[in-house]
Amino acid sequence: MNLPASGTARREKLRPSLFKLLPSPVRMRRSWAFGPVMVLMASGAPAATDLPALWAERAKSVVAVEYVTETETERQLTASMGTVIDGEGTIILPADAVDPRAAIWQLKEFKVYVPSDPESVPAVYLGQDAFTGWHFVRAAEAIRSRVVPITAFVRDGSPDAPELAELVWGIGLRHKDEDFAPYLLQGHVALIQSLPQRVAIAQQEVAAPGLPVFNRSGEFVGLAVSSFGQSYLQFSRAVSGAPVILINVEESSAFTVAGEVLPYLGRVPQHASGRPLAWLGTYGLEPMDRDVAKFLKLSAQSGVVVSEVLEGSPAEQAGLEDRDIILALDGEPLPRLKPDRVIVTHIQREIDRRAPGQTLGLTVLRGSERIELAVVLGEQPKLMREAERKYFDTLGLTAREFVYSDGIAQRIKPAEAGGVIVHYVKPSSPVAIAGLRREDWLREIDGVEVETFPEAVEQLGRIERDETRSEFVLLVRRGAETAVLRVKLR
Amino acid sequence: MNPGFNRLLEAVVRIDVREIAFEAGTRRYASSLGSGVIISPDGIVLTNAHVVSRRAVEINVTLANLERVGAKLIGWDHWTDLAVLRIDLEEVKRRDWAWEMSHAEFGDSHALYPAQVVYAVGTPHGLTRTVTRGIVSNQNRYFEDSRGVNGYETGTFNTWLQTDAAINPGNSGGPLVTEDGRVVGITSRGYLGANNLGFAIPSATARAVLEALLRDGEIVRSYVGLVPGALQDLENFYSLELAAGGVLINSVDPGSPAARAGLRGGDLVMAIDGEKVDGRFPEQLPPIQNRIASRPVGATLTFTVRRNGEARDYPVVTEKLESRVGEEWALEKWGLSVRKVSRAYARENQLEEETGVVVIGLQSGFPAAVAGLSRGDVITKINQQPIDTLEVIKTAHAKYEAQPEPTLFEARRNRRVSLYIVKP
Repeated sequence: MNLPASGTARREKLRPSLFKLLPSPVRMRRSWAFGPVMVLMASGAPAATDLPALWAERAKSVVAVEYVTETETERQLTASMGTVIDGEGTIILPADAVDPRAAIWQLKEFKVYVPSDPESVPAVYLGQDAFTGWHFVRAAEAIRSRVVPITAFVRDGSPDAPELAELVWGIGLRHKDEDFAPYLLQGHVALIQSLPQRVAIAQQEVAAPGLPVFNRSGEFVGLAVSSFGQSYLQFSRAVSGAPVILINVEESSAFTVAGEVLPYLGRVPQHASGRPLAWLGTYGLEPMDRDVAKFLKLSAQSGVVVSEVLEGSPAEQAGLEDRDIILALDGEPLPRLKPDRVIVTHIQREIDRRAPGQTLGLTVLRGSERIELAVVLGEQPKLMREAERKYFDTLGLTAREFVYSDGIAQRIKPAEAGGVIVHYVKPSSPVAIAGLRREDWLREIDGVEVETFPEAVEQLGRIERDETRSEFVLLVRRGAETAVLRVKLR
Repeated sequence: MNPGFNRLLEAVVRIDVREIAFEAGTRRYASSLGSGVIISPDGIVLTNAHVVSRRAVEINVTLANLERVGAKLIGWDHWTDLAVLRIDLEEVKRRDWAWEMSHAEFGDSHALYPAQVVYAVGTPHGLTRTVTRGIVSNQNRYFEDSRGVNGYETGTFNTWLQTDAAINPGNSGGPLVTEDGRVVGITSRGYLGANNLGFAIPSATARAVLEALLRDGEIVRSYVGLVPGALQDLENFYSLELAAGGVLINSVDPGSPAARAGLRGGDLVMAIDGEKVDGRFPEQLPPIQNRIASRPVGATLTFTVRRNGEARDYPVVTEKLESRVGEEWALEKWGLSVRKVSRAYARENQLEEETGVVVIGLQSGFPAAVAGLSRGDVITKINQQPIDTLEVIKTAHAKYEAQPEPTLFEARRNRRVSLYIVKP
């Protein structure tokens, strides 16, 4: 368009984030089929003379876990690394080992590989623990004699955490085509931070994410978590230096210290859903920086703004209001953690470690008033991964039950909830050609309002089975707008 | 050459504009140029709303005698991309040239036919008084552009003329004429990167808008909140006879008069105030929209609506139509440019209320940017006071200017509320 050219070029400065540790928004799963080729080899030779013996034994505490995510039209193979935690073949995997969008029943064919052995042992998925984020998997009995749980490397008096500058080492695993062969990584501890769990950061990569880290006498000192981004300048002939953030997904220099791991190994989920799950019912907990805290006369502590209190939630029942500022949990003032964002994880963990029915005391600032509230935590409403789904291959869509989080995404009150969400659109299918998109909210099918998931399934099924149908009409909502879509069949 | 055409050439002007821009967290001036046509003996110039806007601080018009004079904006309408200027006749008189003002005459855009020869006259890329020739490619082109006029909505209430006469940046606002020099359109836009796809506002629209702008300086339109979609191909589904017409409602703006009256997406409007409407094809929609918009604000319109085969009347009381783009301002001590949240913006973004200002620009290293505010944030409160009007934040800024003190901002990013301290 021939608008008169005006305005100034704006250059946004890239702000690299230094720490992106657990729970990281960057979800890196390791898919062997598409994963980058690993080129890094183990660093320098170990100093301790007994290391070969320690290594041989401890390499038995790690495994590779492979599983299939079966979606509407494809099967995706994912491999992750896990640590054996008990004598029954129970294994923990890092939080990002499984896509949270995947339904539990879509996760199939779990297999466990002992390093250097091409043969696998079948396993079952036990679910994810909300507090630690770990996924639990249990391998068939055949594996028990061939692995050693990590608890075998903890003695009375074993340290909670390594010392700063101490030399630590851990294990990485090669790819499947090399039979997941273990290799050694090591480095000195450079920094220990509360994020809010205590996390040690070594000078370089010391283990693959999800695998254990040991000290020189072979004691377990921590569990590696996903690595953080490091800023690099990228130069090429075409583009001048712009900072890019690189994350090593194969190995990590960060690990949660032993004292934050060992007490929670018993949190094996009772159900694959991970339930029971405690629920407060707020949306958008936002940290504040030091300037704001000072302005609000919060000297040594921090506060968190509650953007929205969700309707019908335990928080609402307890009297929490939009824009209240949380100052303390159970009378304990919120600590000042660095970076500011970490305080939100701190609150989330305090909720996740509790069970539904337990009470959480909140001290909030409302205007200039301090108010004490007692919230009886509820049970999380149905999660997306638990929602019912049904795929219609001829039409080309998956209808998914409308769950609580959809209501938040659609910005509606719980009373307005209903209908179904389009979970998947098959490329070039009739509905795709009509303009249907993923996450569209189906409100009407053929002019009839959709109220429940079974109704929608019934109606779509009828349309799909009817071979004389040449078209049908959908009313969908997308953001604040609706659209009428005409789907041509045959 | 046709004498009418010669007369037209005498009436075409180049327009140089200096306007204020708020986007960068500071007040800056930007200059641009376009074209226009003198349309009356008293020095009224018709041009595009995107050439001369309300932010213009200096307008200079270059006449056919190559002399320059000042001009003032007297009317502006982004919906049809038209603006009206008045040449400073005092200045013309004072300078005492041996020159007589000539003005152009309108032609009838309804009488145009495809392949009819037309000429565009204007200032492409600053090349004053350039004539290009082409044909009418289509006399009823539909396109709406929700950000078409420097971020403002356009094209909802009119269709466009399409021509293959070469249209380049700078042609904007110039006339599209027939061989006898009659103005059948105001050249407005072209597809960049395409070959000879140019568009003009038809004279039928321009004439009506000019008249209203001369009278009132702006055009007040009615709004009901219906977003129509073409019914094309859907008659079967709705079991309609072709002759029945009807307009399909794709969407109803939340909280709008139509929504409050109970209309919904998927409804079919068969008649307005008892008069049949036919909007089967997109090209038919702008006149229907214009019919609704032309009613006085506050009028009650009766929509006859068909839903699931049954017809019912819905009375809807219209509101004043507003742009999504609210008033803008730069708070320079903070390095912060803001735009008032309008009702239309709040609806589009599913905000519960119209309180607040949107951050449209930040100057890096200045207090607002240092505090962590970002473009797109909606500032809702300042020192605990809700920002109902732009005045609230201007007053707070003036106070800060007089005595810089840490100031507490509350802002929303998507739906997340955060606090910021803006300090010296």
